[in-house]
Amino acid sequence: MKHWKYFIGIVLLLAAVSLPKFLGIYYLQILNIVLIYAVYALSWDMLMRSGQLSFGIAGFAGIGGYVSVLCSYYFHINPILSILAGAVFAMLVAVLVGTAVLRLRLLYFAIVTLAIGEIFRIIIRNLEFTGGAEGMILKNAIFNGEAASTYWLMLVIGVLTIIISILFQKSRMRFALTAIANDEIVAASSGVNIFKYLVIIFAITSGLQGLAGAAYSQLYGSVTPEGQFSGSFTILPIVMALFGGLGTTWGPVIGAAILTIVAEALKLRIPYGYLLVYGIIMVVAILWFPGGIMGLIKKIYEKFNN
Amino acid sequence: MLILKTTGLTRQFGGLIALSDVNVEINENEIVGIIGPNGAGKSTFTNVVAGVYLPTAGTIEFCGRDITMNAAHEKCHAGISRTFQLMRPLTGLSLIENVMLGAMFGRNYSQRESRKKSLEFCEFLNLGNVERPISAMTALEIKKMEIARALATEPKLLFLDEVMAGLNKDETLDMMDTVRKIHAQGMTIIIIEHIMRVIRELSHRVVVLEWGKVLCEGAYEEVSSDQRVITAYLGEEAEC
Repeated sequence: MKHWKYFIGIVLLLAAVSLPKFLGIYYLQILNIVLIYAVYALSWDMLMRSGQLSFGIAGFAGIGGYVSVLCSYYFHINPILSILAGAVFAMLVAVLVGTAVLRLRLLYFAIVTLAIGEIFRIIIRNLEFTGGAEGMILKNAIFNGEAASTYWLMLVIGVLTIIISILFQKSRMRFALTAIANDEIVAASSGVNIFKYLVIIFAITSGLQGLAGAAYSQLYGSVTPEGQFSGSFTILPIVMALFGGLGTTWGPVIGAAILTIVAEALKLRIPYGYLLVYGIIMVVAILWFPGGIMGLIKKIYEKFNN
Repeated sequence: MLILKTTGLTRQFGGLIALSDVNVEINENEIVGIIGPNGAGKSTFTNVVAGVYLPTAGTIEFCGRDITMNAAHEKCHAGISRTFQLMRPLTGLSLIENVMLGAMFGRNYSQRESRKKSLEFCEFLNLGNVERPISAMTALEIKKMEIARALATEPKLLFLDEVMAGLNKDETLDMMDTVRKIHAQGMTIIIIEHIMRVIRELSHRVVVLEWGKVLCEGAYEEVSSDQRVITAYLGEEAEC
């Protein structure tokens, strides 16, 4: 059983790597969006496993995006290194802010994470060297916009996030985060350093969001305050994680894949009303399958086993 | 040998003084019962010593170290562990994983070592199938699991906060045997209980709290016949 899992994983990975051989630019572009949303949804879910609700996805993605474009624009740093710089900066912001606000819980914490993005958006909008409200445009998009390479870059970031999530689910991290989410007093009484674990998971998930946000900016070679800090980068990943199933590695990934592809398909067929249909799908899914797709699969699996 | 010593331990919640100038000494391998009417400060005492609340005044000395202002997880690392008055299983983890939490974070064992140690504790407490989810456990089993989780942190001092509450007679007897078994392994135990039979049969010494203060302490026979204790529980005789 265990070996089968690795085997399936390797086959899926090989299939994903070889996709550019079979798909055109348009489809690869959609896959890039799927991967970005998968990283956002999964990293949000990883923090959620500790019981902390974050509305900071767009904020950290935007910070990562701006830092990477600034690095490329002013210092002509290699785009890949710029992306890493964006991720590291987002992580640093998370550590600083986290140290200050991770004593807050629930809505208070959620509001602060929302504010981080807004503060940076307003600052960036009003600074000269970040291009103000117009944003910035780089001379070239990453890899000169070559479709296969950009797809592989996004794939690396997506796979990295999935691997981190799987490792956390197998390690003591899962015990610490589940205990914190369930009952902080029991967790602390059993020796869990709650604050330490929350700062670590907040930094790592924010770093991943910064990484994906930076890659997204380099993909287009441009940034704008409204584009990079767009609220849909916060709301859609949360919906995708709910749709796919919370607390699992594959739920948010599957949720991101299905909802992104459905949105794209609907856009082509119903250019004006597609958001309406999209909304209905989400409402139905959340009403009837509160455990998401993964919850549904688990239910079917259990029935099958009985 | 002295293991725990509190000096002038006080905890205020706003205007309410839940614990006032409590001086308690606990010796190694003792079972000390803490009794007192509702609201006397028994659970607050546990919570302050175990670090859920920090004291407003006073000091806590544990194994010769001052741990007054240490956080809960640090007090756990120092060797203080406890169960809770109301059952607090971690529902996101299975039975064995609940116990492993204590070994993993209380003593920093690896997952593999923690599982091995936790299996021993579960066997010691007769917990049966350890891979069960919490939803498949009885109240007695959950309480035992919480004791196992506390033991897995390998404490020097174990607080049992009303572990008998809500158990029927047979279960209470079973739990009393469990406490004896743990004590026989050399554990120092502070037991908070309302059921006098449990206190009588288990504790070497009894501390009586009332209104956050120590009313008196001594052997069960002395304490139970003390007029002040009877008054605290039953009230004064009315003059008519």
